Amino acid sequence: MSNIILTNESLLKRARIRRLFSILRFLLIGIFLVSFMFPVFWIAIGAFKVSGEFYSYPPVFWPSSFGFDNFTRAFTVFGGVRGLVDSLVVASANTLLVIGFGMLLAYSMGRFKLGGDDLSFFVLSLLFAPPVIATMPLFMIFKTLKILDTYPVLFVSYILINMPFAVWIMKGFFEDIPHQIENAALLDGYSRLHAFRKYILPLAVPGIAVTALFVFIFSWNEYLFALIFTRSNVQTLTLTLSGMIGGHEIHWGELSALSLVAITPGIILTLFFQKYLVRGLTFGAVKG
Amino acid sequence: MLNNNRALTLGESQKRFALLMAAPGLVALILLVAGPLLYMFVNSLFVKTLATPVPPRFAFLKNYLELFQNVRFWNAFKNTMVIMVVGIPVQSALGLLMALLLFKKFPGSKVVIALFLIPVMITPVVSGFEWKIILDERFGPINYLISFLGAAPKAWLAKPVLAMISIIIMDTWQWTPFVTVVLLAGLSAIPKQVYEASSVDGSSSWETLWRITMPLLKPMFALVVLLRIIFIFKIFDPVQVLTGGGPGIATETLSVLTYIYGFKNFNVGMTSTLAVIQLIIMVIIAKLFMAIVMKRNAGSTE
Repeated sequence: MSNIILTNESLLKRARIRRLFSILRFLLIGIFLVSFMFPVFWIAIGAFKVSGEFYSYPPVFWPSSFGFDNFTRAFTVFGGVRGLVDSLVVASANTLLVIGFGMLLAYSMGRFKLGGDDLSFFVLSLLFAPPVIATMPLFMIFKTLKILDTYPVLFVSYILINMPFAVWIMKGFFEDIPHQIENAALLDGYSRLHAFRKYILPLAVPGIAVTALFVFIFSWNEYLFALIFTRSNVQTLTLTLSGMIGGHEIHWGELSALSLVAITPGIILTLFFQKYLVRGLTFGAVKG
Repeated sequence: MLNNNRALTLGESQKRFALLMAAPGLVALILLVAGPLLYMFVNSLFVKTLATPVPPRFAFLKNYLELFQNVRFWNAFKNTMVIMVVGIPVQSALGLLMALLLFKKFPGSKVVIALFLIPVMITPVVSGFEWKIILDERFGPINYLISFLGAAPKAWLAKPVLAMISIIIMDTWQWTPFVTVVLLAGLSAIPKQVYEASSVDGSSSWETLWRITMPLLKPMFALVVLLRIIFIFKIFDPVQVLTGGGPGIATETLSVLTYIYGFKNFNVGMTSTLAVIQLIIMVIIAKLFMAIVMKRNAGSTE
Protein backbone atom coordinates (compact mmCIF):
# COMPACT_ATOMS: atom_id res chain seq x y z
CA MET A 1 0.00 0.00 0.00
CA SER A 2 2.81 2.35 0.83
CA ASN A 3 4.37 2.51 -2.59
CA ILE A 4 1.56 3.91 -4.70
CA ILE A 5 2.96 6.27 -7.32
CA LEU A 6 0.80 9.34 -7.53
CA THR A 7 0.00 10.49 -11.01
CA ASN A 8 -0.70 14.11 -11.78
CA GLU A 9 -4.34 13.33 -12.18
CA SER A 10 -4.76 11.70 -8.80
CA LEU A 11 -2.83 14.55 -7.18
CA LEU A 12 -5.24 16.99 -8.74
CA LYS A 13 -8.17 14.93 -7.55
CA ARG A 14 -6.76 14.89 -4.05
CA ALA A 15 -6.36 18.66 -4.05
CA ARG A 16 -9.94 19.07 -5.16
CA ILE A 17 -11.21 16.76 -2.44
CA ARG A 18 -9.15 18.62 0.08
CA ARG A 19 -10.68 21.92 -1.00
CA LEU A 20 -14.14 20.49 -0.80
CA PHE A 21 -13.41 19.26 2.71
CA SER A 22 -12.09 22.64 3.70
CA ILE A 23 -15.26 24.35 2.50
CA LEU A 24 -17.40 21.80 4.26
CA ARG A 25 -15.35 22.26 7.40
CA PHE A 26 -15.85 25.99 7.59
CA LEU A 27 -19.49 25.63 6.67
CA LEU A 28 -19.99 23.27 9.60
CA ILE A 29 -18.03 25.48 11.97
CA GLY A 30 -20.21 28.38 10.86
CA ILE A 31 -23.42 26.44 11.46
CA PHE A 32 -22.23 25.34 14.90
CA LEU A 33 -21.19 28.83 15.87
CA VAL A 34 -24.43 30.41 14.71
CA SER A 35 -26.59 27.85 16.52
CA PHE A 36 -24.66 28.03 19.77
CA MET A 37 -24.52 31.81 19.75
CA PHE A 38 -28.16 32.17 18.83
CA PRO A 39 -29.68 32.00 22.36
CA VAL A 40 -27.18 34.60 23.56
CA PHE A 41 -27.96 36.77 20.55
CA TRP A 42 -31.68 36.39 21.28
CA ILE A 43 -31.25 37.67 24.82
CA ALA A 44 -29.04 40.51 23.67
CA ILE A 45 -31.56 41.78 21.12
CA GLY A 46 -34.41 41.06 23.53
CA ALA A 47 -32.91 43.63 25.85
CA PHE A 48 -33.61 46.28 23.21
CA LYS A 49 -37.01 45.18 21.96
CA VAL A 50 -40.13 47.07 22.88
CA SER A 51 -42.91 45.06 24.46
CA GLY A 52 -44.89 44.59 21.24
CA GLU A 53 -41.89 43.09 19.48
CA PHE A 54 -42.06 40.09 21.79
CA TYR A 55 -45.61 39.40 20.71
CA SER A 56 -45.33 39.49 16.97
CA TYR A 57 -45.23 36.75 14.42
CA PRO A 58 -42.92 36.22 12.64
CA PRO A 59 -40.59 36.96 15.56
CA VAL A 60 -38.51 40.13 15.42
CA PHE A 61 -34.91 39.23 14.63
CA TRP A 62 -33.66 42.79 14.75
CA PRO A 63 -35.25 45.43 17.00
CA SER A 64 -36.53 48.60 15.36
CA SER A 65 -34.46 50.80 17.65
CA PHE A 66 -31.76 50.40 20.27
CA GLY A 67 -32.87 52.32 23.33
CA PHE A 68 -31.95 51.62 26.92
CA ASP A 69 -35.49 51.84 28.29
CA ASN A 70 -35.55 48.17 29.25
CA PHE A 71 -32.36 48.55 31.24
CA THR A 72 -33.60 51.65 32.98
CA ARG A 73 -36.89 50.05 33.95
CA ALA A 74 -35.24 46.77 34.93
CA PHE A 75 -32.97 48.65 37.29
CA THR A 76 -35.48 51.06 38.76
CA VAL A 77 -38.90 49.39 38.65
CA PHE A 78 -37.97 45.72 38.85
CA GLY A 79 -35.35 45.76 41.58
CA GLY A 80 -32.35 45.37 39.30
CA VAL A 81 -30.18 47.72 41.32
CA ARG A 82 -30.85 45.80 44.52
CA GLY A 83 -30.17 42.52 42.75
CA LEU A 84 -26.93 43.85 41.35
CA VAL A 85 -25.75 45.24 44.67
CA ASP A 86 -26.67 42.12 46.61
CA SER A 87 -25.06 39.84 44.06
CA LEU A 88 -21.90 41.93 44.17
CA VAL A 89 -21.80 41.95 47.97
CA VAL A 90 -22.49 38.24 48.33
CA ALA A 91 -20.16 37.13 45.57
CA SER A 92 -17.30 39.37 46.77
CA ALA A 93 -17.60 38.38 50.41
CA ASN A 94 -17.85 34.73 49.56
CA THR A 95 -14.87 34.93 47.23
CA LEU A 96 -12.75 36.51 49.96
CA LEU A 97 -13.77 33.90 52.54
CA VAL A 98 -13.35 30.95 50.22
CA ILE A 99 -10.02 32.05 48.78
CA GLY A 100 -8.64 33.13 52.15
CA PHE A 101 -9.43 29.89 53.94
CA GLY A 102 -9.20 27.68 50.90
CA MET A 103 -5.75 28.85 49.88
CA LEU A 104 -4.22 27.75 53.17
CA LEU A 105 -6.07 24.45 53.20
CA ALA A 106 -5.09 23.81 49.58
CA TYR A 107 -1.43 24.55 50.30
CA SER A 108 -1.50 22.26 53.27
CA MET A 109 -3.08 19.45 51.27
CA GLY A 110 -1.01 19.99 48.17
CA ARG A 111 2.35 20.33 49.88
CA PHE A 112 2.18 18.28 53.03
CA LYS A 113 -0.42 15.77 51.85
CA LEU A 114 -2.44 16.70 54.91
CA GLY A 115 -5.21 14.18 55.41
CA GLY A 116 -3.88 12.14 52.50
CA ASP A 117 -6.27 10.51 50.08
CA ASP A 118 -9.09 10.56 52.60
CA LEU A 119 -9.26 14.32 52.85
CA SER A 120 -8.89 14.61 49.08
CA PHE A 121 -11.79 12.24 48.65
CA PHE A 122 -13.85 14.19 51.15
CA VAL A 123 -13.29 17.43 49.26
CA LEU A 124 -13.98 15.78 45.93
CA SER A 125 -17.21 14.26 47.23
CA LEU A 126 -18.39 17.68 48.37
CA LEU A 127 -17.51 19.03 44.97
CA PHE A 128 -19.64 16.41 43.25
CA ALA A 129 -22.56 16.40 45.67
CA PRO A 130 -25.82 17.95 44.47
CA PRO A 131 -26.19 21.13 46.55
CA VAL A 132 -29.89 20.40 46.96
CA ILE A 133 -29.19 17.65 49.47
CA ALA A 134 -27.75 20.17 51.91
CA THR A 135 -30.67 22.58 51.71
CA MET A 136 -33.05 21.01 54.22
CA PRO A 137 -30.65 20.49 57.12
CA LEU A 138 -29.01 23.89 56.52
CA PHE A 139 -32.40 25.55 56.34
CA MET A 140 -33.38 24.11 59.73
CA ILE A 141 -30.06 25.13 61.25
CA PHE A 142 -30.17 28.65 59.82
CA LYS A 143 -33.75 28.96 60.99
CA THR A 144 -32.73 28.05 64.51
CA LEU A 145 -29.87 30.53 64.34
CA LYS A 146 -32.34 33.12 63.01
CA ILE A 147 -30.09 34.14 60.14
CA LEU A 148 -32.42 33.29 57.25
CA ASP A 149 -32.82 36.12 54.76
CA THR A 150 -29.63 37.94 55.78
CA TYR A 151 -26.29 38.45 54.06
CA PRO A 152 -24.37 36.12 56.40
CA VAL A 153 -26.58 33.16 55.49
CA LEU A 154 -25.35 33.36 51.91
CA PHE A 155 -21.75 34.22 52.86
CA VAL A 156 -21.66 31.05 54.93
CA SER A 157 -23.71 28.65 52.84
CA TYR A 158 -21.85 29.52 49.65
CA ILE A 159 -18.68 28.30 51.33
CA LEU A 160 -20.16 24.83 51.00
CA ILE A 161 -20.68 25.37 47.28
CA ASN A 162 -17.36 26.97 46.46
CA MET A 163 -14.75 25.89 48.96
CA PRO A 164 -14.40 22.30 47.68
CA PHE A 165 -13.89 23.62 44.17
CA ALA A 166 -11.43 26.31 45.23
CA VAL A 167 -9.41 23.94 47.39
CA TRP A 168 -9.30 21.28 44.74
CA ILE A 169 -8.14 23.64 42.01
CA MET A 170 -5.64 25.58 44.12
CA LYS A 171 -4.20 22.32 45.45
CA GLY A 172 -3.33 21.55 41.85
CA PHE A 173 -1.71 24.94 41.36
CA PHE A 174 0.41 24.52 44.48
CA GLU A 175 1.43 21.04 43.38
CA ASP A 176 2.70 22.54 40.14
CA ILE A 177 5.22 24.68 42.00
CA PRO A 178 8.53 22.82 42.36
CA HIS A 179 9.42 21.75 45.89
CA GLN A 180 12.95 23.00 45.40
CA ILE A 181 11.83 26.60 45.80
CA GLU A 182 10.57 26.02 49.30
CA ASN A 183 13.42 23.78 50.23
CA ALA A 184 15.87 26.45 49.18
CA ALA A 185 14.09 29.04 51.30
CA LEU A 186 14.07 26.69 54.27
CA LEU A 187 17.76 25.98 53.83
CA ASP A 188 18.35 29.73 53.86
CA GLY A 189 16.89 29.70 57.34
CA TYR A 190 13.45 31.15 56.65
CA SER A 191 10.46 29.88 58.56
CA ARG A 192 7.80 27.83 56.77
CA LEU A 193 5.31 30.67 56.99
CA HIS A 194 7.85 33.07 55.58
CA ALA A 195 8.71 30.65 52.79
CA PHE A 196 5.04 30.36 51.96
CA ARG A 197 4.40 34.09 51.98
CA LYS A 198 7.52 35.30 50.26
CA TYR A 199 8.31 32.49 47.83
CA ILE A 200 5.29 30.31 47.17
CA LEU A 201 2.43 32.79 47.23
CA PRO A 202 3.85 35.10 44.55
CA LEU A 203 4.23 32.11 42.24
CA ALA A 204 0.72 30.93 42.99
CA VAL A 205 -0.94 34.31 42.46
CA PRO A 206 -2.05 33.72 38.86
CA GLY A 207 -3.67 30.43 39.82
CA ILE A 208 -5.30 31.90 42.90
CA ALA A 209 -6.61 34.86 40.92
CA VAL A 210 -8.20 32.62 38.33
CA THR A 211 -9.73 30.47 41.05
CA ALA A 212 -11.11 33.61 42.68
CA LEU A 213 -12.70 34.60 39.37
CA PHE A 214 -14.37 31.23 39.11
CA VAL A 215 -15.62 31.38 42.68
CA PHE A 216 -16.97 34.85 42.07
CA ILE A 217 -18.89 33.71 39.00
CA PHE A 218 -20.21 30.59 40.70
CA SER A 219 -21.53 32.72 43.58
CA TRP A 220 -22.86 35.25 41.12
CA ASN A 221 -24.70 32.55 39.17
CA GLU A 222 -25.97 30.67 42.21
CA TYR A 223 -29.71 30.25 42.47
CA LEU A 224 -30.80 27.33 44.65
CA PHE A 225 -29.45 28.48 48.02
CA ALA A 226 -30.55 32.05 47.37
CA LEU A 227 -34.02 30.77 46.54
CA ILE A 228 -34.30 28.83 49.78
CA PHE A 229 -32.33 30.86 52.31
CA THR A 230 -33.32 34.40 51.35
CA ARG A 231 -36.51 36.15 50.40
CA SER A 232 -36.93 39.91 50.73
CA ASN A 233 -34.14 41.45 52.82
CA VAL A 234 -31.53 39.97 50.54
CA GLN A 235 -32.21 39.42 46.89
CA THR A 236 -29.46 38.47 44.49
CA LEU A 237 -29.75 38.94 40.76
CA THR A 238 -30.76 35.34 40.03
CA LEU A 239 -33.62 35.68 42.49
CA THR A 240 -34.70 39.00 40.96
CA LEU A 241 -34.72 37.31 37.55
CA SER A 242 -36.72 34.28 38.63
CA GLY A 243 -39.13 36.59 40.42
CA MET A 244 -39.75 38.38 37.13
CA ILE A 245 -40.62 35.08 35.44
CA GLY A 246 -42.95 33.97 38.19
CA GLY A 247 -45.33 36.94 38.01
CA HIS A 248 -48.67 37.21 36.22
CA GLU A 249 -47.32 39.20 33.35
CA ILE A 250 -43.79 38.56 32.19
CA HIS A 251 -41.92 41.71 31.19
CA TRP A 252 -39.70 40.10 28.60
CA GLY A 253 -37.78 43.22 27.66
CA GLU A 254 -36.73 44.11 31.19
CA LEU A 255 -36.06 40.45 31.91
CA SER A 256 -33.78 40.22 28.88
CA ALA A 257 -31.98 43.41 29.84
CA LEU A 258 -31.29 42.19 33.36
CA SER A 259 -30.30 38.77 32.04
CA LEU A 260 -27.77 40.41 29.80
CA VAL A 261 -26.29 42.13 32.84
CA ALA A 262 -26.30 38.86 34.76
CA ILE A 263 -24.40 36.89 32.12
CA THR A 264 -21.76 39.54 31.47
CA PRO A 265 -19.22 38.44 34.13
CA GLY A 266 -19.39 34.85 32.92
CA ILE A 267 -18.87 35.92 29.32
CA ILE A 268 -15.87 38.03 30.29
CA LEU A 269 -14.35 35.08 32.12
CA THR A 270 -14.90 32.88 29.08
CA LEU A 271 -13.43 35.30 26.59
CA PHE A 272 -10.36 36.33 28.56
CA PHE A 273 -9.53 33.30 30.66
CA GLN A 274 -10.39 30.56 28.23
CA LYS A 275 -7.11 28.86 28.93
CA TYR A 276 -8.08 28.27 32.54
CA LEU A 277 -11.71 27.46 31.82
CA VAL A 278 -10.95 23.89 30.84
CA ARG A 279 -8.82 23.35 33.90
CA GLY A 280 -11.46 24.81 36.17
CA LEU A 281 -14.40 22.96 34.72
CA THR A 282 -12.62 19.62 34.68
CA PHE A 283 -11.61 20.21 38.29
CA GLY A 284 -7.96 20.28 37.35
CA ALA A 285 -8.02 16.95 35.51
CA VAL A 286 -7.08 18.72 32.27
CA LYS A 287 -4.28 21.20 32.69
CA GLY A 288 -5.30 23.03 29.49
CA MET B 1 9.95 14.07 43.16
CA LEU B 2 8.49 11.33 45.35
CA ASN B 3 11.43 11.39 47.74
CA ASN B 4 11.04 15.09 48.11
CA ASN B 5 7.42 14.64 49.04
CA ARG B 6 8.28 12.12 51.66
CA ALA B 7 10.87 14.42 53.15
CA LEU B 8 8.26 17.14 53.44
CA THR B 9 5.63 14.98 55.09
CA LEU B 10 7.97 13.96 57.87
CA GLY B 11 8.62 15.95 61.00
CA GLU B 12 6.37 17.04 63.83
CA SER B 13 6.84 20.77 63.28
CA GLN B 14 5.83 20.46 59.64
CA LYS B 15 2.76 18.51 60.62
CA ARG B 16 1.75 21.15 63.11
CA PHE B 17 2.34 23.88 60.55
CA ALA B 18 0.28 22.04 57.93
CA LEU B 19 -2.57 21.53 60.35
CA LEU B 20 -2.50 25.14 61.48
CA MET B 21 -2.66 26.38 57.90
CA ALA B 22 -5.53 24.07 57.09
CA ALA B 23 -7.50 24.73 60.27
CA PRO B 24 -9.78 27.64 59.31
CA GLY B 25 -10.90 26.12 56.03
CA LEU B 26 -11.19 22.65 57.46
CA VAL B 27 -13.23 23.81 60.43
CA ALA B 28 -15.59 25.77 58.18
CA LEU B 29 -16.12 22.78 55.92
CA ILE B 30 -16.60 20.31 58.73
CA LEU B 31 -19.07 22.60 60.50
CA LEU B 32 -21.03 23.01 57.29
CA VAL B 33 -20.94 19.34 56.45
CA ALA B 34 -20.82 17.19 59.58
CA GLY B 35 -23.72 18.76 61.45
CA PRO B 36 -26.11 18.92 58.52
CA LEU B 37 -25.13 15.43 57.38
CA LEU B 38 -25.91 13.94 60.76
CA TYR B 39 -29.10 15.92 60.95
CA MET B 40 -30.07 14.63 57.54
CA PHE B 41 -29.45 10.98 58.43
CA VAL B 42 -31.45 11.30 61.62
CA ASN B 43 -34.31 13.07 59.87
CA SER B 44 -34.46 10.42 57.20
CA LEU B 45 -35.52 7.98 59.93
CA PHE B 46 -38.41 10.14 61.07
CA VAL B 47 -41.83 10.94 59.78
CA LYS B 48 -41.58 14.67 60.02
CA THR B 49 -43.04 17.68 58.27
CA LEU B 50 -42.89 21.42 58.77
CA ALA B 51 -46.33 21.86 57.28
CA THR B 52 -48.32 20.45 60.17
CA PRO B 53 -47.65 20.80 63.89
CA VAL B 54 -47.61 17.00 64.37
CA PRO B 55 -44.55 15.98 66.41
CA PRO B 56 -41.94 13.94 64.52
CA ARG B 57 -42.31 10.19 64.87
CA PHE B 58 -39.47 7.69 64.69
CA ALA B 59 -40.13 5.38 61.77
CA PHE B 60 -36.77 3.70 61.15
CA LEU B 61 -36.61 2.73 57.47
CA LYS B 62 -40.22 3.46 56.64
CA ASN B 63 -39.29 6.54 54.57
CA TYR B 64 -36.85 4.52 52.50
CA LEU B 65 -39.37 1.76 51.85
CA GLU B 66 -41.99 4.31 50.96
CA LEU B 67 -39.64 6.15 48.63
CA PHE B 68 -38.71 2.98 46.77
CA GLN B 69 -42.38 2.36 46.09
CA ASN B 70 -43.00 5.96 45.18
CA VAL B 71 -43.79 6.50 41.49
CA ARG B 72 -42.66 10.08 41.67
CA PHE B 73 -39.21 9.12 42.94
CA TRP B 74 -38.70 6.59 40.15
CA ASN B 75 -40.02 9.13 37.68
CA ALA B 76 -37.43 11.68 38.81
CA PHE B 77 -34.76 9.01 38.76
CA LYS B 78 -35.79 7.98 35.25
CA ASN B 79 -35.85 11.59 34.02
CA THR B 80 -32.36 12.24 35.35
CA MET B 81 -31.20 9.06 33.63
CA VAL B 82 -32.92 10.00 30.37
CA ILE B 83 -31.11 13.35 30.29
CA MET B 84 -27.84 11.46 30.75
CA VAL B 85 -28.53 8.59 28.38
CA VAL B 86 -29.83 10.77 25.58
CA GLY B 87 -27.93 13.96 26.27
CA ILE B 88 -24.41 12.66 26.83
CA PRO B 89 -24.08 10.65 23.58
CA VAL B 90 -25.47 13.58 21.57
CA GLN B 91 -23.12 16.00 23.29
CA SER B 92 -20.19 13.64 22.86
CA ALA B 93 -20.86 13.18 19.15
CA LEU B 94 -21.38 16.89 18.48
CA GLY B 95 -18.48 17.80 20.76
CA LEU B 96 -16.16 15.39 18.99
CA LEU B 97 -17.22 16.61 15.56
CA MET B 98 -16.59 20.19 16.59
CA ALA B 99 -13.25 19.31 18.18
CA LEU B 100 -12.09 17.58 14.99
CA LEU B 101 -13.23 20.56 12.92
CA LEU B 102 -11.42 23.04 15.13
CA PHE B 103 -8.29 21.02 15.80
CA LYS B 104 -6.29 22.29 12.86
CA LYS B 105 -5.70 25.96 13.59
CA PHE B 106 -6.87 28.67 11.21
CA PRO B 107 -6.78 32.46 11.47
CA GLY B 108 -9.24 33.38 14.20
CA SER B 109 -9.72 29.84 15.48
CA LYS B 110 -8.99 30.99 19.02
CA VAL B 111 -11.76 33.57 18.81
CA VAL B 112 -14.16 31.00 17.40
CA ILE B 113 -13.44 28.63 20.29
CA ALA B 114 -13.87 31.42 22.84
CA LEU B 115 -17.22 32.49 21.36
CA PHE B 116 -18.33 28.90 21.09
CA LEU B 117 -17.57 28.43 24.81
CA ILE B 118 -19.82 31.24 26.00
CA PRO B 119 -22.82 29.02 26.86
CA VAL B 120 -20.78 27.13 29.46
CA MET B 121 -20.54 30.10 31.78
CA ILE B 122 -24.01 31.55 31.23
CA THR B 123 -25.99 31.95 34.45
CA PRO B 124 -28.08 28.75 34.55
CA VAL B 125 -31.22 30.66 35.52
CA VAL B 126 -30.78 32.76 32.41
CA SER B 127 -30.36 29.67 30.20
CA GLY B 128 -33.68 28.42 31.51
CA PHE B 129 -35.29 31.74 30.79
CA GLU B 130 -33.81 32.22 27.34
CA TRP B 131 -34.93 28.78 26.19
CA LYS B 132 -38.37 29.59 27.53
CA ILE B 133 -38.53 32.51 25.12
CA ILE B 134 -36.91 30.66 22.24
CA LEU B 135 -39.23 27.67 22.55
CA ASP B 136 -42.36 29.74 23.05
CA GLU B 137 -45.20 28.12 21.15
CA ARG B 138 -46.60 31.23 19.50
CA PHE B 139 -43.83 33.79 19.34
CA GLY B 140 -40.67 31.74 19.65
CA PRO B 141 -38.07 31.72 16.87
CA ILE B 142 -37.70 27.92 16.93
CA ASN B 143 -41.28 27.28 15.89
CA TYR B 144 -40.88 30.01 13.29
CA LEU B 145 -37.73 28.40 11.88
CA ILE B 146 -39.16 24.89 11.79
CA SER B 147 -42.20 26.22 9.96
CA PHE B 148 -39.92 26.60 6.94
CA LEU B 149 -39.37 22.85 7.08
CA GLY B 150 -43.11 22.43 6.98
CA ALA B 151 -43.45 21.53 10.63
CA ALA B 152 -46.45 22.69 12.62
CA PRO B 153 -45.73 24.82 15.69
CA LYS B 154 -44.94 22.64 18.67
CA ALA B 155 -46.01 23.14 22.28
CA TRP B 156 -42.47 22.45 23.47
CA LEU B 157 -42.98 23.01 27.15
CA ALA B 158 -46.54 21.76 27.44
CA LYS B 159 -46.13 18.19 26.16
CA PRO B 160 -44.27 15.71 28.40
CA VAL B 161 -41.96 14.24 25.76
CA LEU B 162 -41.29 17.58 24.09
CA ALA B 163 -40.56 19.19 27.45
CA MET B 164 -38.00 16.49 28.14
CA ILE B 165 -36.48 17.05 24.70
CA SER B 166 -36.38 20.79 25.43
CA ILE B 167 -34.37 20.19 28.57
CA ILE B 168 -31.96 17.94 26.72
CA ILE B 169 -31.60 20.57 23.98
CA MET B 170 -30.86 23.22 26.59
CA ASP B 171 -28.31 21.02 28.34
CA THR B 172 -26.73 20.13 25.01
CA TRP B 173 -26.48 23.78 24.07
CA GLN B 174 -24.86 24.66 27.36
CA TRP B 175 -22.41 21.76 27.61
CA THR B 176 -21.39 20.60 24.13
CA PRO B 177 -18.75 23.36 23.95
CA PHE B 178 -17.28 22.02 27.17
CA VAL B 179 -17.01 18.54 25.65
CA THR B 180 -15.34 20.12 22.64
CA VAL B 181 -12.61 21.91 24.55
CA VAL B 182 -11.80 18.89 26.69
CA LEU B 183 -11.51 16.74 23.58
CA LEU B 184 -9.44 19.47 21.91
CA ALA B 185 -7.04 19.27 24.84
CA GLY B 186 -6.95 15.52 24.33
CA LEU B 187 -6.31 15.86 20.61
CA SER B 188 -3.43 18.24 21.07
CA ALA B 189 -1.84 15.84 23.56
CA ILE B 190 -1.53 13.14 20.88
CA PRO B 191 2.06 13.22 19.59
CA LYS B 192 2.48 14.32 15.96
CA GLN B 193 4.64 11.27 15.22
CA VAL B 194 1.64 9.02 15.69
CA TYR B 195 -0.10 10.71 12.80
CA GLU B 196 3.01 10.78 10.66
CA ALA B 197 3.48 7.07 11.17
CA SER B 198 -0.07 6.41 10.15
CA SER B 199 0.16 8.56 7.04
CA VAL B 200 3.28 6.69 5.99
CA ASP B 201 1.22 3.56 6.34
CA GLY B 202 -1.09 5.05 3.76
CA SER B 203 -4.13 4.91 6.00
CA SER B 204 -6.98 7.19 5.01
CA SER B 205 -8.03 9.99 7.35
CA TRP B 206 -11.11 8.00 8.24
CA GLU B 207 -9.02 4.97 9.22
CA THR B 208 -6.65 7.16 11.18
CA LEU B 209 -9.57 8.61 13.08
CA TRP B 210 -10.97 5.25 14.13
CA ARG B 211 -7.78 3.27 14.55
CA ILE B 212 -5.55 5.89 16.14
CA THR B 213 -7.25 9.08 17.26
CA MET B 214 -10.28 7.53 18.94
CA PRO B 215 -8.42 4.97 21.06
CA LEU B 216 -5.98 7.66 22.20
CA LEU B 217 -8.87 9.98 23.06
CA LYS B 218 -10.51 7.34 25.23
CA PRO B 219 -9.24 8.68 28.58
CA MET B 220 -10.51 12.17 27.72
CA PHE B 221 -13.85 10.73 26.71
CA ALA B 222 -14.05 8.86 30.00
CA LEU B 223 -13.31 12.08 31.87
CA VAL B 224 -15.81 14.16 29.98
CA VAL B 225 -18.58 11.57 30.28
CA LEU B 226 -17.97 11.23 34.00
CA LEU B 227 -18.07 14.99 34.49
CA ARG B 228 -21.25 15.25 32.47
CA ILE B 229 -22.81 12.52 34.63
CA ILE B 230 -21.88 14.50 37.72
CA PHE B 231 -23.25 17.78 36.36
CA ILE B 232 -26.49 16.26 35.11
CA PHE B 233 -26.92 14.40 38.37
CA LYS B 234 -27.20 17.74 40.15
CA ILE B 235 -29.03 19.72 37.47
CA PHE B 236 -31.51 22.11 39.06
CA ASP B 237 -31.54 25.81 38.12
CA PRO B 238 -32.23 25.67 34.39
CA VAL B 239 -34.84 22.92 34.76
CA GLN B 240 -36.57 24.73 37.58
CA VAL B 241 -36.79 27.89 35.48
CA LEU B 242 -37.62 26.28 32.13
CA THR B 243 -40.26 23.77 33.17
CA GLY B 244 -40.37 23.71 36.97
CA GLY B 245 -40.55 19.93 36.59
CA GLY B 246 -43.68 20.15 34.49
CA PRO B 247 -45.91 19.61 32.72
CA GLY B 248 -47.15 17.63 35.70
CA ILE B 249 -44.11 15.69 36.83
CA ALA B 250 -42.82 15.00 33.33
CA THR B 251 -39.46 16.73 33.73
CA GLU B 252 -38.83 16.42 37.43
CA THR B 253 -35.20 15.53 38.11
CA LEU B 254 -33.89 14.24 41.42
CA SER B 255 -32.78 17.72 42.48
CA VAL B 256 -36.08 19.31 41.48
CA LEU B 257 -38.04 16.63 43.33
CA THR B 258 -35.90 17.11 46.43
CA TYR B 259 -36.62 20.82 46.29
CA ILE B 260 -40.37 20.22 45.89
CA TYR B 261 -40.49 17.71 48.75
CA GLY B 262 -38.49 20.06 50.90
CA PHE B 263 -39.78 23.52 50.20
CA LYS B 264 -43.19 23.05 48.59
CA ASN B 265 -44.43 20.14 50.73
CA PHE B 266 -42.12 20.79 53.70
CA ASN B 267 -41.73 17.07 54.17
CA VAL B 268 -38.51 16.93 56.16
CA GLY B 269 -38.39 13.15 56.50
CA MET B 270 -38.82 12.33 52.82
CA THR B 271 -36.52 15.14 51.70
CA SER B 272 -33.78 13.82 53.94
CA THR B 273 -34.32 10.28 52.70
CA LEU B 274 -34.08 11.45 49.12
CA ALA B 275 -30.94 13.39 50.01
CA VAL B 276 -29.30 10.36 51.62
CA ILE B 277 -29.95 8.28 48.52
CA GLN B 278 -28.44 10.95 46.27
CA LEU B 279 -25.48 11.20 48.59
CA ILE B 280 -24.81 7.47 48.30
CA ILE B 281 -25.03 7.53 44.51
CA MET B 282 -22.72 10.53 44.43
CA VAL B 283 -20.09 8.95 46.67
CA ILE B 284 -19.97 6.01 44.27
CA ILE B 285 -19.46 8.40 41.36
CA ALA B 286 -16.72 10.25 43.23
CA LYS B 287 -14.97 6.94 43.93
CA LEU B 288 -15.11 6.20 40.22
CA PHE B 289 -13.70 9.61 39.40
CA MET B 290 -10.82 9.09 41.83
CA ALA B 291 -10.11 5.65 40.41
CA ILE B 292 -10.26 6.60 36.75
CA VAL B 293 -9.06 10.18 36.56
CA MET B 294 -6.89 10.87 39.54
CA LYS B 295 -4.93 7.64 39.29
CA ARG B 296 -4.14 8.46 35.70
CA ASN B 297 -3.01 11.93 36.63
CA ALA B 298 -0.81 10.57 39.36
CA GLY B 299 0.76 8.23 36.83
CA SER B 300 1.66 10.96 34.39
CA THR B 301 4.58 13.11 35.38
CA GLU B 302 4.25 16.79 34.70
